[in-house]
This record gives sequence, C-alpha cells and structure tokens, in this order.
Amino acid sequence: MKFRLLLLLSFLVFKIYSQDKATISGYIKDSKNGESLIGATVYKQGSNMAASANEYGFFSLTLPKGQHVIVVSLIGYATYSFQVNLEKNISKTYELSEEGKQLDEVVITGEAADKNITSTEMGTTKLDIKQINKIPAMFGEVDIVRSIQLLPGVTTVGEGASGFNVRGGNIDQNLILLDEAPVYNSSHLFGFFSVFNPDAVKDVKLIKGGIPAQYGGRVSSILDIRMKEGNSKKLTFTGGIGTVFSRFSIEAPIVKDKVSFILAGRRSYIDALVKPFLKSTNALKKADFNFYDLTAKINWRIDDKNTVFASGYLGRDVFGSTGFKFNWGNSTTTLRWNHIFNSKLFMNVSAFYSNYDYLIDFKQESNNQQFNWTSNIINYSFKPDFSYFANSKNKIRFGAQALLYDFKPYDATGKFENTTVIFKSDKRYGVEYSAYISNEQKIRPRLTFEYGVRVSIYNYIGKGTAYTFRDTTANEELPLESSKKYKNGEIIKDYVNPEPRFSMNYVINNSSSIKASYNRMAQYIQLISNTAASTPLDVYTIASNNLKPLLADQGSVGYFRNFKDNMYETSVEVYYKYLQNQLDYIDNANLFINPTVENQLVQGLGRAYGAEFYIKKTKGKINGWISYTLSKTERLVRGISNDNWFFSRYDRTHCLNTVLNYEIAKNWSISTNFVFLSGTPATFPNSKITIQNYNIPYNTDGIRNNYRITPYHRMDLGATYNFKKNDQRRYKQSIVLSVYNVYNRRNAFSVYFRTKQGSTFETEAVRFSVIGSIVPAITYNFNF
Amino acid sequence: MKTIFKFLFISTAFFGITSCEDVVQIKLDEGSKLYVIDAFVNNTRSNQTIRVLTNDNYFSNREAPPVTNATVILKDLTANKQYNFNYTSKGNYVFALATTDTISKIGHQYELNVIVDGNTYTSICLQKRTAILDSISAVYNDGTSGFGPPNPSYNCFLWARDKVDLVPDYYWIKTFKNDTLFDKPSDLNTAIDGTGGEVTNAGGADTLDFTPPAIFLGFNSYKSGDKCKVEIHSISRETNNFLFQAVAQIQNGGLFATTPENVRTNITTPSGAKTKAVGWFNMATVVSKTKLIP
Repeated sequence: MKFRLLLLLSFLVFKIYSQDKATISGYIKDSKNGESLIGATVYKQGSNMAASANEYGFFSLTLPKGQHVIVVSLIGYATYSFQVNLEKNISKTYELSEEGKQLDEVVITGEAADKNITSTEMGTTKLDIKQINKIPAMFGEVDIVRSIQLLPGVTTVGEGASGFNVRGGNIDQNLILLDEAPVYNSSHLFGFFSVFNPDAVKDVKLIKGGIPAQYGGRVSSILDIRMKEGNSKKLTFTGGIGTVFSRFSIEAPIVKDKVSFILAGRRSYIDALVKPFLKSTNALKKADFNFYDLTAKINWRIDDKNTVFASGYLGRDVFGSTGFKFNWGNSTTTLRWNHIFNSKLFMNVSAFYSNYDYLIDFKQESNNQQFNWTSNIINYSFKPDFSYFANSKNKIRFGAQALLYDFKPYDATGKFENTTVIFKSDKRYGVEYSAYISNEQKIRPRLTFEYGVRVSIYNYIGKGTAYTFRDTTANEELPLESSKKYKNGEIIKDYVNPEPRFSMNYVINNSSSIKASYNRMAQYIQLISNTAASTPLDVYTIASNNLKPLLADQGSVGYFRNFKDNMYETSVEVYYKYLQNQLDYIDNANLFINPTVENQLVQGLGRAYGAEFYIKKTKGKINGWISYTLSKTERLVRGISNDNWFFSRYDRTHCLNTVLNYEIAKNWSISTNFVFLSGTPATFPNSKITIQNYNIPYNTDGIRNNYRITPYHRMDLGATYNFKKNDQRRYKQSIVLSVYNVYNRRNAFSVYFRTKQGSTFETEAVRFSVIGSIVPAITYNFNF
Repeated sequence: MKTIFKFLFISTAFFGITSCEDVVQIKLDEGSKLYVIDAFVNNTRSNQTIRVLTNDNYFSNREAPPVTNATVILKDLTANKQYNFNYTSKGNYVFALATTDTISKIGHQYELNVIVDGNTYTSICLQKRTAILDSISAVYNDGTSGFGPPNPSYNCFLWARDKVDLVPDYYWIKTFKNDTLFDKPSDLNTAIDGTGGEVTNAGGADTLDFTPPAIFLGFNSYKSGDKCKVEIHSISRETNNFLFQAVAQIQNGGLFATTPENVRTNITTPSGAKTKAVGWFNMATVVSKTKLIP
C-alpha cells in the first residue's frame, strides 16, 4: 500500500482558535434505544450559530464564553433545550425522546425544521426509515430502493429491473454504500426487492448533486445507507411475516449503554409453500428458488472518546433444479473507529471489504457433462476521515482513501467425460487512491460556501495481460494488435483526476434560499451490460489501457422555499450533466467469457439536463410529497445512430410521483402513491428483411431509440392497522394491507417484434409487461 | 445465455409475478427500399438457390417482395469458373446441377455478383472444411428430467469429430424431423470447434474433439419410426455471428432483451447505387446423416 495520499494531507494546518470562545460537543442519541441521531441540529437560541450532528451523531458548536440556552432538535423528536454556562469546553451525550402522540400540541420551531433552507445540501434527500415504512410497497414489503425511485430525478427502466437511474445516469453510476462498503448488486430477484433489510436500516440519504468531497468513485449519485447500531437500552425483537418473505431481527445491549448489537435476517419462502402442491413431474418440484440476507452490527463505546463498530452483510439469491445451479449475492464487512481528539476534531477510520459473486453450474450425470462458471468482484479499502470544527464559521473535512479492486471476470470449466476445457480469465486489479479536503464556510450570515477538492489517482496494475487493439471502422470489433504480460503490482496504466466540488447557499429569508453547486466526479469501474435490465451475470470492468475512466461534470441551481412554518417544503432544481467515456457496445457484442471483451466496448459522451419540482408536506394528518421531473438524457457514440445524439434507454421526459399518507384514526392509516412516467425510448424497425426464412426487423435509417413505448402509470394503495397499544405492554403489532397496480394496468416494459406462430412471413409486435395484474399482499409486523 | 435467462424468468412466476405478453398494434414508419440477398450455397448435389428480395413494411402480411430482374453470378475465383443462376419464382435464382459434380469446393474462394439496374452488388467468401459426422444417437426420456417435453419421447444427440488443430471451425447444425427442418429462431444450433462457445479468440485452444461431447439436438422430441436427419454446414466466423445476431433480433423480448440493432451484412453496395443491399453470403461444406428412431 502506498502513502501518497498522506502526503496530500500533510500540508493541512490547523488553525488555533481564540481563547474567548469555548466549544460544546458530544453525541446526540435517541433516549429510547440509544441509536445515534444523524442530522440533529444544535443551536444557540435566538442566533444562527448552529451545528448539526454528523453520520455518527457527533456535533461540535463553538460559542463565545458565557450563558447560553442551547436547543437540540430533530424532526420527529421532542425539542430539548438547556441552559449552560460555557466557560470551558464541554463534551457530553445528549438524548432526545421521540415525539409521542400526546405531544401533538407541541409546536416545533427552530432550525431543524428548516434545514432544507439553511444547509448547503442540494439535490439531496434524506429518507427516514419511518417515512419509507409508510409508502405502499409491492408485495407489502418496505423497500428502500423502490422508495427512492419515488424521488425527483430518480427513475428506473421498469419493474424487475435492478438498480435505479439518477439524473440520466446509468445504474452503475450510483455508489450504494451500506455502512460505507459499496454494494454492487442492490437487488434480490432481479429488481423486485432491494437487498437492504429495512429493519436494520437507520438512515438513507441520496445525493444527486453538489456531491461533497468525501464521496467519490461514482459519477451520478451516492446512496448512503447507515445501519442501526442496535438498541443499547433493552432487548428488542422486530419482525414481520409477509407474502414473499419473513423478517426477524434482534437488538440488545451486551453492556448497557456501552456495547450493543443488531442481527437481522430475511428469507423468502414461496418455494417451500408452493412445492407440496406441485405435481411430481413439474420441473420446479425439485427446484430451489429463494433469497436470504443477514445483516449484523456490533458497536462498543469504549469511552467518551472512542467507539468502534463492526458491521456485516451477507445476501444471496439461489436458483436451481436437477443438474442446474445458479446463485449470486453480495457480502460486505466494515470496521470503524470513531475517535474524538478534542471537542473540535473528530475522526472516523473505516476499513471495509465488499464482494459480489455469482456461480452457474450445469451438470448432466448421464454423459458426465458439467459446466461451471463463476465470477466475482472484490473491494478492499481503508479510509480515514476527519472533521475539524474550526470555529462557528468554518467546518473543515479532510481525509483519504485507498481502494483495491480485485476481480475475476470469469472462470469457467467445461467437463465432457474425459475432456476438460478451462476458460479462465486473468484476474484484474486496480488501485484507487484519493485524498480530499473541503471547507464549509459561513462567508456572511446569509451566505455559506462549501468548497473542496478530491484528487483521485488510479493505477491499473498487474498481474495480468494487457491487450492493445488497432483502431478500425466504428462499430466493428477492434483487431488485436499485441498483448503484454505484467508482473504482480506493475503499473500498466495510470490516471489522475482532480475533482473540484463547490456548493453555495444564499438564505433570502427565514423561509427561502437559493443554492448552486458544481461537481466533477471520476469513476474507474463500469458495468458491462447491453440488456434492457441488468442481469445478475453482468460483470464490471475497471479502467485500463483501453478504457478511460468515466468523468462527469454537473452544475445545478435551486430555489428552496418553505411555507406555513415549515409545514410545506418546496424546491425547484435545474441541473446539467456532461459525461465523458461512458460505455457502449458494438453491434452483436460478445460480452461474456471473452478475454478481449474490451474490443467489444466503445466509449462515448453523455449529456443530461432537467428540472425537478418537489413539494412535501411534513406534518399533519395528511402528509406526503409530489415530485415532478422534466428531463432529457442523450448519448453520442461513434458508429451508433449515424454518429448523432440519441436518447438513452432510461430517458423519461415526464416523471410524476405522488406519495400521500392519511392518518384516519389513532390506529388506522392509509397511504397511496401514483406514478406517471413517459415511456422509455425504444428502437423499432421500419421494415423487415427475410434471410434463411428468418423475418428480421430492420431499421433502414439506422437510428437508435427512434420510438417510445407507451407511458408507464400505476397507483398503489396501502393500509396499516396498529393494534391497540397498551402502555403496560411492550408488544406492538400491526397489519399492513397493500394493493399494487390498483387499476390493473399492463405497463409495457418493452415491445419486441416476432414472426406469428405458425406463419412463415406474417409478423407482429408484442408488448411485454412484467406486472400484468393487480398484486395484493398482506404483512404482519411485530415489535417487542 | 438466453436459455438461462428464460429459465430464470420462468422461475419468477412462482412469486405470483404475472408477467404477460400481448400482441399490440403499433404504427411504424416506412423504411427506404433495400435489396435483400440471401445466398447460402453449399456443396450438396442438389439445386442451389440464391434469393434476391426487397425489404417490406414490417407488418405487411405477404411474402417478401421478389426482385425479378437481377442477374446472379457465382464465381469460383480459385478455379476460375462461373455459374449463372436463373430466375424461377418468388425471388429465387437457381443453379440446376446437371451432373454429379457440385459447384462448391473446400478451400476455394468465391465471389457473388448480383446485378440489379446496372449496379453490381458483390460479396466474397471462402469455403471452409467441415466436421466428420460419426453418428446420431437417440436417448429415451421418460419426461421427468425437468428439461424437455413432459411426455415420454426420444432426444437425439449428434456425435461428430472436429479437426484437431489451431484453426477455428464454425458449424451450423441443421436438424430435420421426417425431412422437415426445424427452422424456428430457437432451433438455431451452431458449434465452434465442437463446443458451444468461442475458445479461439485469444489462446488458440482448438484442441477439442466433437466426440465427446455429443451435441444435444434441442428439445425436439421424436417418436418411434420418426426419422432424425442432421446436416453440419461449415460456416465462417462472421456467418456464425450473423446467425446469432439475426436470432437475437427476432426473439428480443423479456426483461433481458438486448438493444435492438440492424443485422450486419457482408454484401457490398457499389458507390453510386441508389438502393443499398443487405443480406448474407456463405459457402458451406455439408455432411449429413439420418437415423431412424427404433
């Protein structure tokens, strides 16, 4: 491991703060379960001197010495205030209690509720897991990825497609972090469910624009998912029995307020339920098809200054039958150490491991045939991160990261009686070093700048073979020129990318502000996938001597305004994004088990722009949001679509999402959401040609994505009944009823063209819908 | 690959996910005119046919419109011979073999000329060697294996041998039941050096015999008394890619459909010609065997 990044850090100088000020710092936690509260605001009453708790619930606020009334607040929690005589630095843990029903009368005022106005964050949405729980879900299962698809600027190519598209970005352009470890495939069962168990998730944050310097490695968005630490006060069980799978989690203190853990698992079981009813001749009788995941985390608060965390995730999808096995999944491990050097300097050091792999195995006993195929991608990373709360006007964040990519594109073995054929690819390695520094500076009382830079250095390294290709006609396979073997650790190709980040906020008045941001992002890994929905078999490829890193520049401007005492939050944001070196494919590309797959790939330009409108009602019996996005996403690739810009596969001109919750009575709440999306672009033929009796669709203009399939719209309903709560009893239970696709629309996923059955020359168009009916579901949840 | 995806997608039906397919009416633009040349010539002692057609509106429910005024010439560049194909009907241009000789020879270079309205559309192809076909075996399947038809039937396997050297060989395996060719897109069966995959690209690992493995001749079931006939046609690497691409474009549905694209062509349109030609030219060496199911 090299220490280049430490050099970059070494020129940091800490400013000495003046002696007439003192700092109040500490952690903010939930009084009920001891979970740290991310984003809670701490401020001096009657001033704009404020601090907010970071990802670990830590805050630091520097004030003039003397008497102050300090207020701690967070939406959903009762505001806590206390008087303090600040003569020297104070460090303490503060606890907030959840806002109970009896506290409905309490009007929450202060800084927390208008954080959307005052912070420099833009293009950022934080979803509380409680909020996600209210959205009606497919099969009644709360799902994080499907919930964020209801936010402005986020779309998907359709049901069943894994991942999500942010502001015209491909699914591989989202950095999905589970306790800081990247998750490569966020889906169970293709795209129907996401791999995150909502019972183990504390906080979800999606950053689409103005991406801070501490994040890097993907160009379109960051989905930062933080796991619960586990109840540090008492033993708790949470679970649910649903239509598709069941969940169960256990949280408990090992040493009260010091060590706690959470262990959460899910497993689908439709296979077990259905099998007894199948005829013995049914191929699926002997089949396996299930998915499961296990999430675990333990934290140990050693003392006031040190906390360590260990968290892990293991998930797998399993398919199989006689002589056939196919499974895939992610596993991640994160180790973290939070250290408070002093009231102004906070450090987190993370080390993580992430692995995504799949296996396919065919076996035919009768003639001793076997085919076995595996592939994986592994990441190892070390990442120190520092927050320096210099004074009430400057908050500096700096850190570094070293990340090793270790992947095996394929490893296949074919066995036929006495013959064995091995198709084995070289492993491929890349190292990404990065260092960053940023400062959030209050320039004037109403004007805040956050500026910084991240520098990423990438090395494509051996051991391995690097291929060189000759350039030839566009959209043709590049002929091999030469290949060269490299030794272990030898640098084959390197790239350096400075990535400037900037965002600003000008607060017009208490209820409105204007924000602007610019960021450049570099990405050294891309997914190879030319199918409509990404498959679990798709492999990633890293930047190399043939493939340049993906670069994106994004600028955005937004106007934010709250109404009625922050009851309504509204925003309008416009963005423009320009991408370089985005992957595309030559026609008839051979992407699997191909050592020279790079000669099947081409790199092109992308551009995306749009306007996002968002209105959210945060309080009251009726709450929810409406978002509308008007956008355009295009690509330009040599040799494709006659060298003209063409719509990308996930371009959706109009995108409307509404989510409404209505608390009818104390125990009943209902929710609904409605989605309208313009149809995705598709390439339709304008004629057919007949060769060897195949009626092949053909487009004489050669334009890609020249049509659009019909718009997608859908409405879902959900109802939750909470059984009467008895304050004496801890047992809480609820029933969730949900109906997905209420008015039974067969939304087109794609349209394709085929020869009519039984005819040699008659042809027809076929609409393929993933969900072709109403999908009702019922789930029982409990907590005690 | 497609089979795996298909199997997976069928499996998801268990989750109550009712994916469905509906035939829909769509208004499509009309494309400009193209000549379509379908020239798969082989060395069998039967009449050889080259088709010259035009493209048609996608939904026009008629046979492909023929080009009747073309001149079709096949030149053996190695032997310096020329064969003229004569128009019969439905866009078919036929060379009738009068003698016991065949018109194509292994290792010879051929040039196809199709002349329409004074423009000569050309293509060049080398005739490749083929495999040694040993036998066909029929295996009784009681219908419980999970794959294949649920009723008892026979599945057929092909036993053949590929030349062991470093030259990659590509084969198109055509299967017939009682003289009817299985010609659906899903019936396409090709082999590279006797395996299902490309092994030649980087390593030059052409060391594999056809026998074993046997090539599974699809899920087509045969009953006692049926005739199973197999022809192995030698094709070029480009032809193999073309066939795959064509089939991919015809059955491009489902969750994992690929981006639709125009199939490639190896027909060259002369500069200045108003109408472009597409299509494919391949010269094949054929071996064949027939088995009577017991």
